[in-house]
Amino acid sequence: MTPIDSICVIDDDPIVVFGIRKMLQNALPETSLIAFENGRHALDYMQAALDQGIPLPRHILLDINMPIMDGWQFLEAFIGLPIPMPMDITIITSSIDPSDYGRWETFRAITHHRLEYKNKPIRKDDLIAIVSAA
Amino acid sequence: MLKRLNHDIQNYLIKQLPNPTAFLNDRLEVVYASDSWIEALMLQKDGVIGRGIWELIPQAPEHWHEILENCLKGISGQKGVERVVSPNREEKWFEYENNPWYDEQENVIGVLIQITDVTGRIKSEIRHEKTEILMRAQSELARIGSWEYDVVKDQLHWCNMTKEIHEVPLEFQPDLESAIEFYKEGYSRNTISMVVYRSIETGQPWSEKLQLVTANGREIWVIASGKPLYQNGKYIGLVGTFQDVTHTTQFEQRIIESEKLLRTVVDNLPLNLYIKDLESRKTLVNKSECEYLGVSDPSELLGKTDFDLLPKKMAQISRDEDLYVMSNGKSIIGKETLLELHDGSTTHFLSSKIPLFDAENQIYGLMGISLDITDLKQKQEELRELINVTSQQNKKLINFTHIVSHNLRSHSANFSMLLELLGVEEDPHEAQRIVGMLTKASNNLMETLENLNEVVAINTNTNIQTSRVDLHHMAEEAENNLAAYLGANLAKVVNEIPKATMVQAVPSYMENIISSLITNAVRYRHPDRLPVIRLYMEKTNNRTVLCVEDNGLGIDLDKYGDKLFGMYKTFHNHPDARGIGLYITKNQIEAMQASILTCSEVDQGTTFKIFFNDPH
Repeated sequence: MTPIDSICVIDDDPIVVFGIRKMLQNALPETSLIAFENGRHALDYMQAALDQGIPLPRHILLDINMPIMDGWQFLEAFIGLPIPMPMDITIITSSIDPSDYGRWETFRAITHHRLEYKNKPIRKDDLIAIVSAA
Repeated sequence: MLKRLNHDIQNYLIKQLPNPTAFLNDRLEVVYASDSWIEALMLQKDGVIGRGIWELIPQAPEHWHEILENCLKGISGQKGVERVVSPNREEKWFEYENNPWYDEQENVIGVLIQITDVTGRIKSEIRHEKTEILMRAQSELARIGSWEYDVVKDQLHWCNMTKEIHEVPLEFQPDLESAIEFYKEGYSRNTISMVVYRSIETGQPWSEKLQLVTANGREIWVIASGKPLYQNGKYIGLVGTFQDVTHTTQFEQRIIESEKLLRTVVDNLPLNLYIKDLESRKTLVNKSECEYLGVSDPSELLGKTDFDLLPKKMAQISRDEDLYVMSNGKSIIGKETLLELHDGSTTHFLSSKIPLFDAENQIYGLMGISLDITDLKQKQEELRELINVTSQQNKKLINFTHIVSHNLRSHSANFSMLLELLGVEEDPHEAQRIVGMLTKASNNLMETLENLNEVVAINTNTNIQTSRVDLHHMAEEAENNLAAYLGANLAKVVNEIPKATMVQAVPSYMENIISSLITNAVRYRHPDRLPVIRLYMEKTNNRTVLCVEDNGLGIDLDKYGDKLFGMYKTFHNHPDARGIGLYITKNQIEAMQASILTCSEVDQGTTFKIFFNDPH
């Protein structure tokens, strides 16, 4: 299967990954899902994809609190990668800490990628709307 | 011839008379005159005989004419005193007696003048009079009264001032007994009796400050002085004075009382107080200052400067302040200073220095007041410490609240998501999977709650029981307990803790801390090498330090240092996560009054150091 249309989820919680995979399978059976349990693994993949000319995922769903490399660290590294095309990245978090919201706005201002912010729980309709946009 | 001879003899005799005497004829011409008379009147010796009296004494007063005329009329016994001022301005006093001069037939043939030079007597009389006037004036001004006692007649005489002092009427007649009774009973009366008796025995004068009770019942202070009188070696009486010194005495007493009051205030103020002269030498110090500088008597400090009493650096600071105050005339008020003594002890003072001005408004020194605020400072420090602890606690609490809310939210979000999926799932097999996920989510929630509970328990247990813990043994146990995990990861633990290394700790906490640190080291191992964890002891600033060193990934502390001990998302079923790891570890360490420090280098490894709050 050629990964023409892929969506990437970065979350250390397997239940979340399971849920998202299930929702997308039903609604967008053509779309493949790549999951990473922390920012480090995801970043390594992106780096390798860029090097080998493999197309990057259409949309990144990013959790914040993860071990080893969290969502913010990932973002910081990711926006430094040479990707001219604006990417769609949606932060999906259970955090309601205002400081996290503030950081999202800061990142949003300094990058050409399209950055969105969404609190958990994620509902099927919302998810479809998010990944179908653009 | 005989008559002539007679005249010569008479002349010769009269000439030699010691009392100044002169004979005038009825024309008031000098017939005979003694040399003493001529001398007394300061006349020329030659050319007196035969000259008229008015010619000789042209300055003679008018009433002489009458007196001499009276004599020629036969009136005798005219006496008087005359003041004569000679051409050389010498003042003389004469007493004269003029009588008629009779011949054998009792006929008045002239005037007989006899004079006596009484200059000395008159002068002493005048002096006496003057002295009396002066004495009276003085006695009134100084309130000095006199008295005299005649032992032969047994008579006591008081002058008017003495009576005034005793407040008795002028007609009052004192006697020895009543005089003594005016002295206040007790010390005053006993003293006067004693000194008078002794004075009569020895002839020594006395002078005592004593109290009288006047006729009006008023108590007054007098200086009673006196001495015995003797005539030809025989005691004949006493003479003495009273000086009313009540006002002076009361004034003196008031001054003494004020001084005492001032001294009491100065000495008992809970302040260090001193006065310095222009050279910064101490001229007055109070008790507190003596105590502070460790001397028992002010005399040990008087005349000394700060250079004699304090270390040089302190003394110079103080002298600079003194010079500022004394040269500008400006006070330093309430300055916080830290003074150090030679023995190294330090005291915090709130000190003030105030310039002192004399009557001419010139600065003659300064007054220093210092309040020891060491205790206050310490309290302030304790308070600050307490605020630090409180704000630390508060920060922890907020952190914890976020963790709780975040973790519970994650789980509830999972439930919500899974239930939504289950609701629309038609495939029973898939539904079964979702239920399995729900069970897992439920278990996760339970585990989270247990962990949170554990954190709460550590932080709320204020009365933790510590005991002596053998660190070597404990590390061995941890290694044994983790044997399977270590084996699976090919990790090696090197226990270099000396045997029987004892620290004061909570055993269960200590167990968890050691195994947490070991697990953490394995979890973040370096991909290129097998994990090695070395445990060893260190001594830093007399504190026992347990070090757990690994050869793992290391961590950029500048970037992630604050995250290290935060309660992480490791709550989730991360494959390696034992629970909330370092977060609980840190809480347990702090609950034991110990602290943890991290040293790390990326790609090299990490060392955690636990500083035990142990005296050894």
